[in-house]
Amino acid sequence: MVALAIANQTVREALRRRVMWIFLIIGVFLIALGPVFGFLNPRDSQVVLKSLGLAAILLAGLFITIVTCIYLIPIEIERRTIYTVLSKPVQRYEFVLGKFLGGFATVFVNIAAMGVVFLAMLWLQTPGHHVPPDMFKGIMLTFFQMLLLAALTIFFSTFATPVVNFFLSFGIFLVGNLSSVTDSLTTSRNAIARGVGTLVHYLLPNFGNFNIQNSIIHPQIEIANANAFMMQSIAYALIYSAVLLILAILIFDRREV
Amino acid sequence: MAAAISIHGLTKKYVDVWQKQEVVAVNNLNLDVEEGEIFGFLGRNGAGKTTTIKMLLGLIFPTAGDATILGRPMGDNNVKRELAYLPEETYFYDSMTGWDLLDFYARLFRIPEPERSRRVQLALEKVRLQPEAWKRSVRGYSKGMRQRIGIAQALINDPKLLFLDEPTSGLDPIAHAELRDIVASLKEEGKTVFLSSHQLADVELICSRVAIIHNGKLLRTGKIKDLLAGERTEIIVQGRELGNGMLQKLKDLVPVVEPIYDHTEADDALGGVPTDMLRLSSDDFEKTTAVIDLVRGVKGRIVSIVPHKRTLEDVFVETVRKEDGV
Repeated sequence: MVALAIANQTVREALRRRVMWIFLIIGVFLIALGPVFGFLNPRDSQVVLKSLGLAAILLAGLFITIVTCIYLIPIEIERRTIYTVLSKPVQRYEFVLGKFLGGFATVFVNIAAMGVVFLAMLWLQTPGHHVPPDMFKGIMLTFFQMLLLAALTIFFSTFATPVVNFFLSFGIFLVGNLSSVTDSLTTSRNAIARGVGTLVHYLLPNFGNFNIQNSIIHPQIEIANANAFMMQSIAYALIYSAVLLILAILIFDRREV
Repeated sequence: MAAAISIHGLTKKYVDVWQKQEVVAVNNLNLDVEEGEIFGFLGRNGAGKTTTIKMLLGLIFPTAGDATILGRPMGDNNVKRELAYLPEETYFYDSMTGWDLLDFYARLFRIPEPERSRRVQLALEKVRLQPEAWKRSVRGYSKGMRQRIGIAQALINDPKLLFLDEPTSGLDPIAHAELRDIVASLKEEGKTVFLSSHQLADVELICSRVAIIHNGKLLRTGKIKDLLAGERTEIIVQGRELGNGMLQKLKDLVPVVEPIYDHTEADDALGGVPTDMLRLSSDDFEKTTAVIDLVRGVKGRIVSIVPHKRTLEDVFVETVRKEDGV
C-alpha cells in the first residue's frame, strides 16, 4: 500500500514534466507521418507505416523512460521531500519500489498512448481495416524493453547524478542493442576482445532481444517458435529488472539522504 | 519520568573522498529528553543540530554511538509510527493540494478511510489553515501557509514525539506567534517536542529544558529556570566622595563596580563641584539595599536602579563565546 501511494504520487509528479510531453508529441507526430511517407512510396506504404510507427514508439519510449526515471530519486533528495517520506514508517525498499512503479506506470501510459495512435493509423490505412496481430507483439516487446530500461535507470539513480545516469543508461541501451556484435566478440581469437565481449554480452542487459521489427515488417522473415521467443523475452525482462531493483534497494538502503 | 530520547556518545564524522580531511559534525553527544517536555536544541548554523535529528530519524547513519527513541533503537521503522518530523525549509510536492498532500502522508502511515479524511481535516484545522486553501495547490501557498501545512503533516499520525527544525523561521509576526502557540499547545496534549530553533525568545517561552551544541559538541544542558537564574540589578550612583575610600567599601559589597566618569564633570545638583559616577551590578537584594544606604550616607545620589533579567540569549552568547575563547 505504501509503495502504491508513493507510485501514485510519482505518476502525478512525472506527468508534470514538460520534456516528457515533448517526446510524446514527437512520437505521435512521427507515427502520424507514416501515411505521408507511405503515400510517397505507394508500393511499400504498409512497410513504411509499420516500420516508422514501431521505430517512433521505440525512440520516444526510450527518451521518455530515461528522462522520467533518472530524476525520480535524485530530485527527492535535492528538494528534500524525501525527509518527510523516509521519516515516516516507510521502508527504503518501499520507496525504491514505489518510485520504480510510478516511473514505469508513466512510461506505460505513454507507450500505450502511442500504441493506440499507431494501431488506429494502421487500421485506417490497411485495406479491409485489418491490423496484423504481430503489431501488438511489437508494442508489447517495446513495453518490456522499457521496463528493463526503467529498472536500469532506477538502479543507476540510487548512486549516480542524473547527467551521469543519462549517459550510462543511454550508452548501455545502445550497447545492449548490439547483441549480435558482442556475441561475435565472445568467439574472437583475440583474448582481450573475447574477454571484454563475453563480459559485455553476458553482464549488460540484452536489449536486442526485444527487437523483432524486421520479422514484423517483413513477413517473409520468420522467428522460429515465435510464442516461446515472446515468453522468453518477457521472462528475461522481468528477471533482469527484478535483479536490478534488488541491487538498487541494497545500495539505497545504505545511502545517506 | 521516562526518557523519550536517550542519546549515548552519538558521533558523526564526514571524510572527503581522499580520506584526508575529516569534519566532525557531531562529537560524542550524550543527551536525555524526557517524555512530555518541549526540549530546546540550540546552536549556531552548522553546529550539528540537523545532523543529530537526521541521525535520530535514520536518514543518515552515525559514525559511533547510539540512541533510543521511545525505548526503541533510533531509525527503527516501528518507532517511526509514533514520530513526526518537520524539516527546516520544507519542500513539498507542490503540484498537490494541501488536502491531497496530507492524504498522501496519511497513506504512508497506512491509515484507512474514513479515518484518513478525519485526520487530514483535524490536522488542517489544528494549524488554522484557511479552509479555502485546503483544495488549492501548495505551489501558491505563502511561507506561513507552507509552515502550517508542514506542521499539519507532522501531526497527521497523532505522534508522541515531534522533531521540529526551525518551525517559526521567516514568518511574519502574527504567523510566528500563532505557530509558536500551536507548538506550545502540543505539550498540553502530552506530546514530547524536540525543538531546534534560533528563535531564543520562543524557546525561552515554551521550552522546559534546553541543550546548547557548538561545533558538534554539547556545551550546556539544563532547565531554563536554572540557566536563567541570577537576576542582577544595575545601580548607577553619583557623588563627591565615591572615588576615595568609599570605592573599596562598594567593591566589598558588589562584584562589579565600573566608573562612568571620574572627577571630570561638575554636577549642579551636588553643589556644582566635580563628582564621580559609578555603575554597580548587584545580584542580591540585601546588597542592593546596602549600596543605596552607603551612597545616601555620603550624600550621594542614586541615578537609576534597573533590574536586569538574564535571557536565554545572554546564556547562549555567553556559553558559545566562552567556548570560542572570545
